[in-house]
Amino acid sequence: MTRTMTQQRAAKAKWYWGIPLWILAIAFLAPFAWMLSTALKQDVDAFRVPMQWIPDPAQWENFKTVLVGETSVLPAFGRSVLVALLRVAGELITATMAGYAFARMAFRGRDRLFLLYLATAIIPAQLLLVPRFIYFQRLGLYDTLWALILPGMFTVLGTFLMRQFFVSQPAEFAEAARMDGANEWQIFSRIYLPQAAPVLSALGILAFVWSWNDYETPLVLISSPDQYTLPLSLTNFVDEQGSIAPGLTMAASVVSIVPVLLVFVLLQRRFVAAMTHTGIK
Amino acid sequence: MTVATPPAPVRTAVERRPAEGPGRGIKPSGWTGLAFIAPNLLGVVAFTLIPLISVILLAFTDWNLVSGLGGIDFNGLDNFVAIARDPGFWNAVGLTLLYVGVSVPLTVVLGLALGIALNRPLPGRAVLRAAFFLPYIVNTVAIGMTWLMLMNPRSGLVNQTLDIFGISPGWFASSHWALPALIVMAVWGGVGYCSLIYLSALQDAPSQLYEAADIDGAGVWAKFRCITWPSLLPTTIFLAVTLTIGASQGFGLIALITSGGPGDSTTTISYYMYQTGFQFYRFGYASAIGLVTFAGVLVLTLLTWRAQRGRALND
Amino acid sequence: MRGELSRRRFLAGAGAVGAAGLLPGCSGDERGSEILQVWGGVPAASGPGKVVEAFQRKFPQYKVNYTRFVNDPRGNLKLDTALQGGLDIDVYFTYTSASLALRAGSGMAADLTDRVKADLELALFLDAEQPRAFVEDGRVKALATAREPYFVLVNETLRRQAGVELPRRWTIDEFRATARSLTTDRTVGAYTVPDLARISLGPDYWYGEDGKSNFDDPVFEQTLATGRAMIDEGSTFRWSEVLARHLNTYQQNSFLKAEFNLWPTAPFNLRYLYDGKLYPHDFKVGFVPPPTVPGGGDWNGGSYNNFVMMNPKSAKTEAAWQFIKFWLTEGSAPMLAGGKIPTLGNVTDDQLVTGLLGKEPDKYFDLDSFRRVVLQAEPKLATDTKLAGFPEITLAYNQQRDLCWLGEKAPGPAIREVYRLANAAIARNEGSA
Repeated sequence: MTRTMTQQRAAKAKWYWGIPLWILAIAFLAPFAWMLSTALKQDVDAFRVPMQWIPDPAQWENFKTVLVGETSVLPAFGRSVLVALLRVAGELITATMAGYAFARMAFRGRDRLFLLYLATAIIPAQLLLVPRFIYFQRLGLYDTLWALILPGMFTVLGTFLMRQFFVSQPAEFAEAARMDGANEWQIFSRIYLPQAAPVLSALGILAFVWSWNDYETPLVLISSPDQYTLPLSLTNFVDEQGSIAPGLTMAASVVSIVPVLLVFVLLQRRFVAAMTHTGIK
Repeated sequence: MTVATPPAPVRTAVERRPAEGPGRGIKPSGWTGLAFIAPNLLGVVAFTLIPLISVILLAFTDWNLVSGLGGIDFNGLDNFVAIARDPGFWNAVGLTLLYVGVSVPLTVVLGLALGIALNRPLPGRAVLRAAFFLPYIVNTVAIGMTWLMLMNPRSGLVNQTLDIFGISPGWFASSHWALPALIVMAVWGGVGYCSLIYLSALQDAPSQLYEAADIDGAGVWAKFRCITWPSLLPTTIFLAVTLTIGASQGFGLIALITSGGPGDSTTTISYYMYQTGFQFYRFGYASAIGLVTFAGVLVLTLLTWRAQRGRALND
Repeated sequence: MRGELSRRRFLAGAGAVGAAGLLPGCSGDERGSEILQVWGGVPAASGPGKVVEAFQRKFPQYKVNYTRFVNDPRGNLKLDTALQGGLDIDVYFTYTSASLALRAGSGMAADLTDRVKADLELALFLDAEQPRAFVEDGRVKALATAREPYFVLVNETLRRQAGVELPRRWTIDEFRATARSLTTDRTVGAYTVPDLARISLGPDYWYGEDGKSNFDDPVFEQTLATGRAMIDEGSTFRWSEVLARHLNTYQQNSFLKAEFNLWPTAPFNLRYLYDGKLYPHDFKVGFVPPPTVPGGGDWNGGSYNNFVMMNPKSAKTEAAWQFIKFWLTEGSAPMLAGGKIPTLGNVTDDQLVTGLLGKEPDKYFDLDSFRRVVLQAEPKLATDTKLAGFPEITLAYNQQRDLCWLGEKAPGPAIREVYRLANAAIARNEGSA
């Protein structure tokens, strides 16, 4: 087999898989087409039947209102970025270390502690809202961004994800390193951590999304408009009857997708196929 | 594999199985392990566990929230007795089991297939990956509005497409179709999440093993079953557990789209809890429902856990 | 490629965490306690902002901070928690009956009786015929800021095309007949049927004399049956369409697009009808009072609401009372823009016209019928005082109504289920009270 033939076959396979995936992707994206078009509609046209896919007239003012109007979401946008970055940083550090220890280090009661840990994630989060309010107010964190940042830096789910990753790593690496006289920190940071780049990227993306779209926590823990995060600032487009201004809400939603997509595109590069030559065929 | 710092010993499939428990190859490290866990643990205790304990206490009260901390009266097991006799609760349990039981396996399987597919060389791969992940990142309000339009029984895109096959479900305007509609949305929103995590796990698949299998002439299915799947098992457990937690807790979309209806056809446990706690102000009762749900999901998680361990040991 | 996430990067991340302590915007509560804290559900831009401004102009010694909460269960929960948690709140608004009773009954509302009695301007709030205040055990706990009469809006262009007279009053049968004659293949006659039971029974209509619910009164089944019949004959919207498009929240868009003609609604929806730029339409809107029900049913269906309350923990009771009084009296006009007619009627007719109908009332409304129905009529408004299990009953009724109007359940069984659930809710709440 010559090299070019292999390449040709690979190129063919690429399209063989690519075309159905692209078709599926377009079906997946159909809702976004409507979102985008509604972001450019007048409110009165948003829920028209039959569905209107091309806005007429195109209401570019929606974006203007959302970005530079009286209720501009940009300050909230900035706060959301700050909160998300700090949460992601904290999450990556604490979850990676804890997940590693739960998977690869031995100490008494390790697995029992982990299950207990996991159990705390199972209590329905909505029940925590009121106790958290009272508690955070006592701590003096109410109506500050710290009320959103701090709990988000230490999560059980992130630890769980990292643990499941390290569990599937071979123990032999550690044994060999120990024989070479490496200490526990070195084993973690020099041997196992570098392997974790893809899963760390995944966790980074997820933690960013969790923070970015968190609505309930700020709803209860933040009340001054000058502390609003992005999801909360969307309530500016809801009136007291519960009627949501669709054009503005969609425009703001479109704007809010951008940074998350950016983070995703940057980090997904870490998922380089390790098996390009022998992949699952 | 690009990382070769440690001398990578030649491994076989048996040796490479996930090592569980403080068994083979791990040296007891005592306090060091706790030190690694400490930062996360302290944070979880400080910001989650302490409020959580009060929820557990509230489950044994008839607190209505508005009466304040002074209005907390302990009523023993009254709430739990009431739950056992509450048809609304059992209806919610049934709906939740259906919702979780269908949406979670479907999401995991489709997410796995998609993860594997997106790991291959593809035309415009980065865009494809983003496309499938996009549903996971959009806020609930926008998603709710959009699907309401798409699933309009008469004029929505979904039924216009299904019309070709002569079916036209009532979706959110029918007590039989509203839950299936929510399941469709859950799968649409969750597949990208699963494929993202599978994708990251696949980067770690042992390439030497595939090479060895190639030499042995193993087929596609054999390679998947003996190499890929075992290495993805911990990830699958993670996804199954987190999706179950998410599906049994999520109520944002339900609150936004169906408010539990028509009738009570989409009143899942989490939404029922939301109604009793936030609309009826029966906060003690809602906490008790939360505690019962907690016990249920915990049992499910432990079973999954056992299954994983049993599998690892029997390999 | 993979070894990139180094320890150095982690340290950089940790540094960022520390640095955040220096960032502005993360530092806690800077508001002074001298500022009057007011919480309401209406966005500041839809009126409250202007009320606050005018108040501060008149009383330069006071400063007011208006915090908007989202008026849904979670938003109300936050207000409740904040009040309980001792957050600095002096004045707040309550929109739902369920919260009203609970807040007043749990010591979250100051007793305003003496202040109201001492003020001639506020005498109307002591009227027991048509209560405008929420009174508990003889004490005034909350004052309604808005008067909300219901009416039926008519698309005048479509009406003329159909050759139908604009009625001055009508019975429910005439309403239905009119809806039928206005139904074409492009337009539905009416959005939905008004709540006949409310029109027939007035305040506390869900509660019977015997401590049980009142759903065994035949008028409730009649309401469901009439609604179902009108849906079946096509003179109101299909209920599947109402649910699938959330028309209960977005009726205004369908009315503006002339998808239906008769619209039983309330003043707060007028705001969509005079803004030609955001809500373009080319027809005038006429006004008719709600239909009456045979057997003396002439309640309007509307009520007094948007209750203002004072936090008993407030340390600024004088300022708080000044603000409440200002909102109720001379300061009330800006709220007209959002369709809030002041309870005390202390605005001129001209103010009402321009406030409720915008700058070009002639262009978008039939002013004769507006004057007749809104300015001159004295509708019988009802304010509920019995509220045991109110949110549970609301839910039960809405659920069964949906099933019935979707055609999944007959009116009889549906209303019997409501009766059963409502009785249980009342028993549970009376029992625990």
